[in-house]
Amino acid sequence: MQPKEIEAIHRDYLKQEAKSRCWVFSTQCLLFLVFLGLWELLARTNTINALIFSYPSKIWAQFWSQLVDGSLLPHVGMTVWETIVGFLLGTLLGAVIATVIWWSPFLSRVLEPYLVIANSMPKVALGPVFIVGFGPGLMSVIAMGCAISVIITTINVYSGFREVNQNYVKVVQTLGGNKRQIFRLVILPATIPTLLATLKVNVGLSWVGVIVGEFLVSQQGLGYLIIYGFQVFNFTMVMMSLAIIAVVATLMYQGVALLERRLTSQFK
Amino acid sequence: MNQIPSTQAKIELSHVTHLYLSTTRAFMAVRDINLRVEEGEFICLVGPSGCGKTTLLSLIAGLETPTAGKVLIDGKPVRGTSRQVGYMLQQDYLFNWRSIEDNVFLGLDIQGIRTRETEQYALHLLDEMELADVRKASPQQLSGGMRQRVALVRTLACQPEVLLLDEPFSALDYQTKLKLEDLVFSTLRKHKKTAILVTHDLSESIAMGDRIYIFSRNPGRVSCELAVPAAIRESLPFHARNQEGFQDLFHRVWKEMEVVSGAAKGN
Repeated sequence: MQPKEIEAIHRDYLKQEAKSRCWVFSTQCLLFLVFLGLWELLARTNTINALIFSYPSKIWAQFWSQLVDGSLLPHVGMTVWETIVGFLLGTLLGAVIATVIWWSPFLSRVLEPYLVIANSMPKVALGPVFIVGFGPGLMSVIAMGCAISVIITTINVYSGFREVNQNYVKVVQTLGGNKRQIFRLVILPATIPTLLATLKVNVGLSWVGVIVGEFLVSQQGLGYLIIYGFQVFNFTMVMMSLAIIAVVATLMYQGVALLERRLTSQFK
Repeated sequence: MNQIPSTQAKIELSHVTHLYLSTTRAFMAVRDINLRVEEGEFICLVGPSGCGKTTLLSLIAGLETPTAGKVLIDGKPVRGTSRQVGYMLQQDYLFNWRSIEDNVFLGLDIQGIRTRETEQYALHLLDEMELADVRKASPQQLSGGMRQRVALVRTLACQPEVLLLDEPFSALDYQTKLKLEDLVFSTLRKHKKTAILVTHDLSESIAMGDRIYIFSRNPGRVSCELAVPAAIRESLPFHARNQEGFQDLFHRVWKEMEVVSGAAKGN
């Protein structure tokens, strides 16, 4: 077979691939547009209750007017800020706890049942405790965003530490390495993929924690907007907030996914 | 026990017994092992799987402390891992997140002896193994044989006096294995290292070793000891296989192994 022929076959393959990708994408877009169109149509013809479900063009108008008069961005900013802080704190704290219990097998055996209990506990149920403890405001919301991810991070990262192939540890041991070196040279770098996978889970979890936290206490944020819209029966505002959350949460998730691809490329 | 310095062994095991303890049982891995390795000697340990060969290496490396008996290096009891002893595993276990060069410097980093001089020595070894042009590459880009050579350099870079080799050729294809045997053999000879090789391959043990210990299992103990004739001992492993007497020795080892496995089955 000539190199030219091979090239031609490969080119055909690439063309086929591009075509199928294009089909998938356009179907996705079409599906979204059909969804919006149907929604709009059904609401305007009053087949579904426009007061409860609102409709896309009205939501867009609400979004635009709130964006222009500057009353929207502070809410978005607040929620994003709380989520990022809660997410980082939860992840960091979880990783630190995991490190400590990896360090001390005794402690890990002691803490095991407590971790199991803490993990099966619905963290949002702690809401009232946080409000009393941290006051009705930013701190409580962040604490909620953090609490919801910290235990699962601890469990995931710790099991990641334990799954590191013992022969890598043996390599460092036979070269004379102590426990600190084993951690720094093997355990930590080998679990970077696990850590990043945990980050991806935590982004979603922190959103849940922060929104619930805002439901309970806050004066600002997208969770507050949802509750406020609900109370004044402005479901256009509720729907708009939901749409914003969907977009921003997806962006954040993609950001972490990008980071993951960058940092784990050398492990594949 | 009167030890005269001139007859002091490099490695000496006397009445070593080791138990592995778990909640369900106490398993005796090796029992009453006596073994002497002189400086610069190349010793092979063969025996059926589960006869405690790897346990012995762990004891000599200081990864485990014997339940009873003594493990001495240069007449001093082994306490934990030390710079003196290098260990090579069945697979290379190179760190994918470090370049070849950084993998080779790993031991220097750990022991805090990374200087320009030691780095130069490590790179010189890399060059000796014909790996100089991949020093910036990452481990995934290398073949199995190359990776195992890097692992050897990583071990040798710390300049251990004793090298423990735990089936280092078993994961390689046959051709690579033969080539690497020659390379390891000549490198260790050249740098005058004392070495203990654990292997499943009987012909490998004869081709590489000065002496061969055959182990039986349940629990692991020395069943017999064989000396390899000078002609075989002194030629490179690849040629050793064609030396006169090689086949005879092979048959003897084979027979001993039959006895050992037969005895294990009889238990």
